[in-house]
Formats: sequence, C-alpha cells, structure tokens
Amino acid sequence: MTVSPSPTSEASAEIGGQAARPAKRPISLWTLIAFSLSAIAAIGFFFVPAFVIRPFRYQSPRALWLAMALRQHAPAGTSIAGLVCIVLACLLWRHASLWRKISISVVILVMALAAAMSRVNYFEWMFHPIAGAQFQAQSESKLDPTEMIMSVRFGDEARAYPISQMAYHHIFNDVVDGIPIAITY
Amino acid sequence: MNGRELHFYLAGINNQNFLMRDRETGTWWQQITGKAIYGPLQGSALDLVLSDELTFGEWRTEFPRGEVLAPVPQYLKEYDSKWEPEVAKLPVVISFPGTELKPRDVVIGVDVNGVARAYPWETFVKQSPVMDRVNGTLLLLVLGPDGKSFRVFVSRVNGQDAEFFLQTNGANRMAASPVDENGKGNFDDKPNRDFSAKAWMLVDSLTASQWNFQGCAVSGPVHGKCLERLPALKDYWFDWRNYHSETTIYRRQ
Repeated sequence: MTVSPSPTSEASAEIGGQAARPAKRPISLWTLIAFSLSAIAAIGFFFVPAFVIRPFRYQSPRALWLAMALRQHAPAGTSIAGLVCIVLACLLWRHASLWRKISISVVILVMALAAAMSRVNYFEWMFHPIAGAQFQAQSESKLDPTEMIMSVRFGDEARAYPISQMAYHHIFNDVVDGIPIAITY
Repeated sequence: MNGRELHFYLAGINNQNFLMRDRETGTWWQQITGKAIYGPLQGSALDLVLSDELTFGEWRTEFPRGEVLAPVPQYLKEYDSKWEPEVAKLPVVISFPGTELKPRDVVIGVDVNGVARAYPWETFVKQSPVMDRVNGTLLLLVLGPDGKSFRVFVSRVNGQDAEFFLQTNGANRMAASPVDENGKGNFDDKPNRDFSAKAWMLVDSLTASQWNFQGCAVSGPVHGKCLERLPALKDYWFDWRNYHSETTIYRRQ
C-alpha cells in the first residue's frame, strides 16, 4: 500500500515501509522580498557611495548628494538593514534548498563586508594621514632649495609644508601660534 | 567654526577636487572652497588663511627661524618632488571648451570680493611683474627672484594706486602697465631677468621706494611699510573654472 504525501501535509506517511520526508514548506514570497530589499539596502549604503565617489569619474551634484547622504548614515543604516536581513535569512534558511542556502550565505557575507567597510575610511588606506608630526628647524631640513613648499606665518611662528609630502597626505591639521589650521593640497 | 576646533580628514573626491570631513560633526567640506556642502554645518565656510607657495630656498631666506614639516619615514617612497609632470598626464572628467586654456593649464586664481580672474602661469612668468585691475582693485602679481615663487599684492601705496618696476642689476624693467577691467593693456614682455636675491627689487612710481619680494619697502620714503597681500591659488584651469564659473582670464594684448 502506498500513500502519496500531500504537498501541504506535515504528517509523515509510510512508503514501502520507509518514513516519507516531511514536505518542504514553500518559502513565503513576502519573506523573500523583504529579505532581498533589506539586503539591497544594507549593501547599497556602502557600495553606492563607493561607486559614485571615485577618482577620474564625473560626479553630478545629485549623485554626490546621494552618495554623501548614504555615507553619512551608513553605519546605522547597515546595522538596521543588516539586522532585519539576518532575521529574515533565519526564517528562510530552514526551508531553503541547498542552492538557496548558498545564495543566502553569499548575500550575508557581502552585507557584512558592506557593514564593515562603512565604518572605515578606505581613502586613508591610499593616502595615509600624518600621525605624530615632527618639525625641523629649516637649517636641519634636507629639502632641496628648489623644492616647493606651502607656508604660513602667524606672529613669530613660520611653518613650511613641503608640497611633495602634502601631495600624498593631502590634509594636515596643525596649530600655529595657537591658531588651528588645516593645510590641504 | 563658531569657536569650535575642527579636525579634518580625507573623505573622497568630487570631480578631482577632494572632499574632507571633520571628525567632530561629520560634515563634508569641499577642499578648494572650504565650504561645508553636506552635514550638520552645511552652508558654513572656513576662513582662508593667507599662505604662500614658495621654493624652500626663498622661504628660508625670509624665515631663517622657521620650521619645516619633517617627512614621515614610513612614507618616504610616496613622496615625489616630481609629481607634477605625472599628474599633468592624467585625464580630467570636466572641461570647459570655448577658451584658449586647456584643462590642465596652470593658472594663478585670484578672487577680489567675489570677482575672480585666472592668470595663466606661462603668461605670468613671461610678463611678471603684472599689474591688473580686478573689481576696482589694482593688483600686483610678482614672480620671485627664484623664478618659481609668486605673490599677489594690492598695488597701493599711501592709499594711492601705484605702478611698480622690477629693478634688476641697476636697470629698471617696467611692470606691465595698469590694465583695464578686461585685463588688456600695452606692455613690453621681453624677458629681462636676474633672479639673484640681491639684484631683485621692485620700485614704485609714487615714492621711488624699493620693495622686496615680501612686498615691504626696504628703502625710500615709505621704508618699513608693506603692501597688502591677497590670497591666490595656483591651480589647474579646469578646477579653478569649476568653482569660479564667472571667472575671467587675464590676457596679453
């Protein structure tokens, strides 16, 4: 005697003396949609600004505004969207096929990467800031006389910032004669 | 800003002019303008500090007790004193056709109370000292004795507009004649340069005082007085033009 298990039935039945596997509950479409949207949001908080704000690429005012807005709120945005996404992933996981589980895992990994990258400033990986800056008397400097420098003077304090260095670091925060300044190049 | 000290870091790039953010508020600022373009301080502007772009040799003669930012040992290989020719080859993402300037032509940009003018570097070097009127103010742009440093002054002595001559080895070379608002004028642009510090001196037409590259009178009736300095930016044309849409260009006649 054979019993064809009902696709919606959770009851097990015997088929040829062996217990039939319980039928898989179909994944809720709304859960899948919500999972996808939350993943897109979490990933987008990092990748959209990263795509827009790139060297040698034109930034339109609107695109730049969007990129700055997303980047500004990326730490919170990736956390909230990421949390929602993980909860939904757990709901989807139990009833997912192997390939769907792999897909869910990839999405979670990318989302984790986005969350991590939204908390670091990768521009400073390329152009390291100056930490613990030191100054030399001009007589001690080994700069060639023809090298270009930027200079400021406040009161009796005069400082020079070699352009060859500033062209790499781009920004340096300094205090000259008590006045905080940012040297940029 | 508003009495609060801010500390800035590199945060991105906007059409090849970089963006920075302050750690205190997270506001985004455009480097060339010093203006906050997004965030809690949006609309604010940093005060531009009067600064110079000089050769180290020129600077140390003027400030023998000055201090120099020391190189960071771990980044020595990143410092390239010859970076400009390499950057000049890089592509640009914005351009402004319709002028004789190419995107990466170097200009000296000056803004006098909202009126901007760009001085092509090569033209300036050939004609220095250059006198030009911008927004009613007579300017004096001078190339230093080293041929690379430059400064911009208000060309006024004792409240009166003054012409300046470059005095080299006892021979006077007249500065470019005062020019009209469109930067046009008659002048002799034959190079006559001696960039030794001792030979280089400016002389004004009103008092015949001698002036050094710092814009201070070192002899004559106004000995000890200094000309008012103006901020000036040495920049690529495309970048200057992008943030000064109404800028004019200084032209030789």
